[in-house]
Amino acid sequence: MKKRITVIIVTVIALLTIVSYLMFQWLNDNQDIEEAIEQEFRTLRQYVEDVYAIEYLDDDRALVFYSWDFPVFYNFGVMELEKTWRGWQFVESISNRIEVENAWVKGVYAEITDYVILRGPMWAGIDEIEIITDDGREYRPEIGRAEWQMWYLILEDEPFEEATFILYDSDGEVLREEVLQFDLNWPE
Amino acid sequence: MKLSLKYKVLMIVILSVFTAFSLYYFVTKLQQEQAVTEALIDYRNITREYGLDAVYKSKEYPIEVELYPTAHTEAILERWKAISERYPELDYPKAAIEAEDWLTVEESLEDTDVLKEVVDQMYEDSTIPPEGAGASFTTLFNYIKYHQYDTQYIEEVLIDLGIEPLKETD
Repeated sequence: MKKRITVIIVTVIALLTIVSYLMFQWLNDNQDIEEAIEQEFRTLRQYVEDVYAIEYLDDDRALVFYSWDFPVFYNFGVMELEKTWRGWQFVESISNRIEVENAWVKGVYAEITDYVILRGPMWAGIDEIEIITDDGREYRPEIGRAEWQMWYLILEDEPFEEATFILYDSDGEVLREEVLQFDLNWPE
Repeated sequence: MKLSLKYKVLMIVILSVFTAFSLYYFVTKLQQEQAVTEALIDYRNITREYGLDAVYKSKEYPIEVELYPTAHTEAILERWKAISERYPELDYPKAAIEAEDWLTVEESLEDTDVLKEVVDQMYEDSTIPPEGAGASFTTLFNYIKYHQYDTQYIEEVLIDLGIEPLKETD
């Protein structure tokens, strides 16, 4: 009889484990990242937030560019999410206070996990940015638009302390050139 | 299927132990979550109030949040220090600022009686406001925190006392 009971218990546990695993897999595969982001913001308590862009680093990692703090939204953040067996989960977030008024473009340097991220607010009339470093490297950062406008660059090579930002309007005309400096030691 | 008494007792003991551990786990978890929520709200508020940069490395128990001052923070501290140098009864929490203990820094600006006493003294020391003019503690608080002049004469009083620079005229 004991053997029979043992078989029943083991079978029930095995079935429950398989069903739970399949359910987690199904929920994980069907999870909406935007809902996961909202949930992470809720638990971070950094509401009200505004998402500018979501960049997928690979199938299981994503960076969310956002600003928060109603009504000014001067806190510009980047949050890393990782897809685990529990779905999209918070890894790290960095929020920088940057005042937007009276500036064409501003920028800060940050490292998040293994990545160097440059990002900042920019004036609404800018359509495209070209970055030229002192050693001649050229980049075209992405631009996200929400409450404000945010440019961002996920650097895969050496970071730079200074660069010229050439700002273009929607007709491709140069609006202005600005030199921005980045503190590579931040936040030390 | 008839189970022996010994087996039934064993089952009850196992179930009781399991239930006790589960309850203990959930109550502890609930308390931790509540503490984490309160701490995250404090960090959010302090980040907003002092315009701090914030790095969140863990937002679950144990939470790991690092806060760093910005130009906005420095401007608040400069206004606070300027008032405190002239009116030492308003504490300027130098040690907490140096330690970047922003929650303690915030507590130093919460004594409304001291704020009221200082703003009253400022109005008395200045030759600008007419007799009877005054301000509430929020006037001084809003000036330090938000650089706002929310009451009549406060800007002129601050300039008169040398705390704010004289306005340039065109």
